[in-house]
This record gives sequence, C-alpha cells and structure tokens, in this order.
Amino acid sequence: MPKVLMKGNEVIAEAAIHAGCKNFFGYPITPQSELVAYMANRLPEIDGLFLQAESEVAAINMVYGAASAGVRVMTSSSSPGFSLKQEGVSYLAGAELPAVIVNIGRGGPGLGNIQPAQSDYFQVTKGGGHGDYYTPVLAPSTLQEIVELTKLAFDLADEYRTPVVLLGDGMLGQMMEPVEFTEEDMKVLPEKKWATTGTRGDGAPKVISSLELNDVNLENHNHTLQSKYEVIKQREVRFDTYRADDAEYMVVAYGTVSRIAKSAIDEARENGIKIGMIRPITLWPFPEKPFEEYRDKVKAFLSVEMSAGQMVEDVRLAVNGKAPVEFFGRTGGVIPNHSEVLEAIKSLAGGGQ
Amino acid sequence: MNHNKRIKILTGHFGSGKTEIAINLAIEEAKAHDKVALNDLDVINPYFRSRDVEGELKEYGVELIAPKGLLATADLPIVSPEIYRVLKNQSYRVIIDVGGDKDGATALGQYYNDLKGEDYELIFVINANRPYVSTTEGVINTIKQIEDVSRLKVTGLINNTNYGCEHTTVENVLLGTEIAEEVSKKLEIPFLYTTLSEKIGDHTQGFEALNNINYIKRFMTLPWEK
Repeated sequence: MPKVLMKGNEVIAEAAIHAGCKNFFGYPITPQSELVAYMANRLPEIDGLFLQAESEVAAINMVYGAASAGVRVMTSSSSPGFSLKQEGVSYLAGAELPAVIVNIGRGGPGLGNIQPAQSDYFQVTKGGGHGDYYTPVLAPSTLQEIVELTKLAFDLADEYRTPVVLLGDGMLGQMMEPVEFTEEDMKVLPEKKWATTGTRGDGAPKVISSLELNDVNLENHNHTLQSKYEVIKQREVRFDTYRADDAEYMVVAYGTVSRIAKSAIDEARENGIKIGMIRPITLWPFPEKPFEEYRDKVKAFLSVEMSAGQMVEDVRLAVNGKAPVEFFGRTGGVIPNHSEVLEAIKSLAGGGQ
Repeated sequence: MNHNKRIKILTGHFGSGKTEIAINLAIEEAKAHDKVALNDLDVINPYFRSRDVEGELKEYGVELIAPKGLLATADLPIVSPEIYRVLKNQSYRVIIDVGGDKDGATALGQYYNDLKGEDYELIFVINANRPYVSTTEGVINTIKQIEDVSRLKVTGLINNTNYGCEHTTVENVLLGTEIAEEVSKKLEIPFLYTTLSEKIGDHTQGFEALNNINYIKRFMTLPWEK
C-alpha cells in the first residue's frame, strides 16, 4: 500500500481498521471529530458497524456490550467527553473487557477550549474512573507511530483483557503527515472463550459483570487485577531516548511536545549544552528503567508538558531524589514554542555556556 | 485558460491544501491590487485556518474576513457577514477559502445568488495522496458533490499532490498531474497548474524539470518546523 497523507485522527481510525476493529461507537467532539467521521465512511466498507451514540456515556456502554461479545471495538473522544466515559471505563476494567479508548486532549479544565493540551495525564495514568484500576496508556508522537501503537493498543487490550487508552493532543489529531499501513500478520492471541456469544447448550451460561456483592470475593478479584497490572508493568513498558548517551541534562517529554523538545535539544547542543531526552511511549506503565539508568549520571531533569505539571510527578518518583527535577509547561491550549523550551533548557543548565 | 477572475474560490477535498494556496493567491493579488480580501469560510477545521495568520496577511496587504476575537476559536460553524461588503464591491479582489469536502462547500452555497452575476472562478484543489481522492473517479465524485451543494461549477483544477516538504517525490507529483489531466479531460475543466512548496528543493532534487509549477510559501507550519 502506498503512503497516504493523512490527519492524525484519520490515521487512528484507519490503523484501527487494519488492527481488525469492527465496531465503533462514539460522539463527535472537537478536536477529534475527523476520527468519528472517517469511521462513519470506512466501517461500512468492511462490513463493520459504526454507530453515533446519543452521548459519550451511551457510547462507552455500547463498547462494553460489543467487547463482551468478543469484538474488537473502539471509541474516541476529547477531554470533556473522555471524562464522561470514565464510569464505563471503570466497568470495562472491572469486568476485564478489552477495548481501545482514544483521547485527543484539549484545553481544560471544564469546557475549556478546543486547542491542544496534555492536561489529562493524571486522569489517564491514575485510573480515571472509580476503583482500583489502571489502563495501559500509549502516547504516539508521530502519525506513523500512531499506526504502530493503535495496533499495539488492540493487542494489549485482548492479551490482558483490559481497556487501553491511546492518548494524543489536538495537534496530533489535526496535523498531517504521510503514513504507510503495512499488512502485518495478526498477533496470535488466546481465544476469547469468555465472550458472551451464546452457549449453544454446550456449557454453563457465560456472564460478564463488574458486580460482586461478596466483599471477600471482590477483594480476591482486586488481587487478580493487581497481579495483572504487575505483569503489564514488567512486560509492556515502552520508551525512547534521544541524544541521551553523553547527556548531562535530560528533558522528559511525550507526544507532540517531544518533537518541539527535540528541535530545542538540537539547538541547545549547538550552544554546547549536553542535553538529551527520555520520551515515555507508555505513560502507564511509566518507564522507570531509563531514569534508574540516567539519574546518577545527569545533573538535572526537565519535564516539558502542555499542562501545569502532571507527568513531572512520575518523573520525580522515578528519579527518586537522585537529581533535581524541574518543570516547564504551558496550559489552556497554548503550545510551548521552540524558543521558550530552549530558554528553559538554558536556565536548567545554568544560563548556557 | 482564464485564471484572472476578480473572485477566486478555493474548494477541494478535506486536507487538500486549499488554505495554503488561498493565502498565496491572496498575497499574489496584493502585489497588483490595493484592495484584497481573503475570506476564511472554513467551518470544518478547528486548527490550521487562514485566520491563524491574520498578522502575516496584514503585512502583505491582505485583509482577512473571518470570525474574529473569541469567535475565531469558538468551535461554532459560523462565517463572517463581512463577506457581503467585498463580494459586490468591484474594487476588491476576493479570495474565498472554503472548508473541505461537500460539508465545507455547503457554507459556500448560501452565496450562490450573490456570486452568479459576478466575475468569479471556482478552483478545485487535488492532493491525490489523500484518502478517497487517489483516483480519477474519487476526484470526480468529490467535484460533483461540491458542485451540488455549492450550486456552482468548478472552472479550474490545481494539482497540489504532495506528502509534505520532506517526503514528496517527483514521481508522486507526476501521479497527481496525471490524475488532474484525466479529470480535466473527462469533465472538460481546465487544469491550471501544479503547486509545490518553495522549500521542496531543500529536500529532494529533480523538480526543476517539471512544467507548469507554481511555488508557494507554507504558512500552516508546526511548532517544530519554525
């Protein structure tokens, strides 16, 4: 298949189709509506089902139904709409159902605006809804990486029977880049024996539920979930580094912001500042390993985010007091520009050299 | 082919590059004319619209007509009523940047009665690397849909087939030219020219050999492209 020039939102939709997504339930919201519109055109072409729900709450519960039946299913929204879905995500986590939920973040809190933001980091990485649960969170930084991570999102969801969040910001959703879809073999995953597709009289009825009235049983179920999260933490951490080998200072950034940081890092290097970057690809589980590796070598870390400072808390936990951790961020939909990130780097390195 | 009408309307598939071309055409007009207005009619895109570069347009002597102030980013499908001020004023050169696909062109339909008696041209921009317009049939379908909702006829084609500065190849541009020529023949609409970024030569060679190219400056850049 030749390269196609696409918008980020369209790439997520097409990548989901390539990953075998057959059902989509959603409700449009800027800046991710192109994803919904693309699915409305595309799913009927492959005999899939697209349904625009009456609300985000309805959409996530339709996802619950389709996931129960063992179908690869997705929904998408942007910050306020993603908040509305949280009850459903908690139910999916409790009932151990695989699904992919996309959040293309925008400025908040509240109704906020339609400009790009990363201020849903706490929400996506710390559970989001009620109860003790986590969802794997994947944060692509390029449109080609969306292709790879959308496929991974569906595979992780099925393998671990868990909802998985694909997180981007409005800029990632709206920008255009050429992408290539490769026809990869589907990963061999365990058969969904739990799916409620009818018993045909050949066994006990299958029930999918997050309800458990007995406290001890519910605690046992929580233990099961927690052990699953431990396995995910051991096996599914992903990150990337940039010019990190000889770095004396380290930027930490994810998604589109990592690309702004990259160009600032290149210029800082030209100014004689030895700086590199750690880019978390999974935000949960948060990549602790690269911090363990670099925290004794570098003089300071700088977390750059489109938020008031959210990921920086995980950076501090991972650095564990071994080096200073500074923060630079813009909020409310303001995109940090190259020069202000460069200034933050220079001030981290003591005014530049 | 006549590409010198007082009113130039830019339509095309969603994400075909209309806004960049509209801005460049407006700047070109401003070199020869005192009064040039660029109308941002985009009710589809939330970002990367003409209204985002109002300051730069002003420097080039181009007046922007678009939802202003808080309304500019209000996520409401609104257009500025100020367009009427320039549509009938013969001393104005007018560029209209329409939102993508038939959905975007629906916003153009309301001006049918104001446009039909005027000296206008309706340009359709093709980027054959976009989904659903990679074939002659795909382009023709989109043109028909846009003509239906706008109640106007497309009068010229621009080939803007590209993958962005870094990834565009000569072969790829030629593929777009071929599709534009086929569409031109089938629908009897003149194929005007091909547009390429003026920075294309920084990344790939061989474009000098191509015919009928208009080099354009890009305004809708990403923060790491500055």
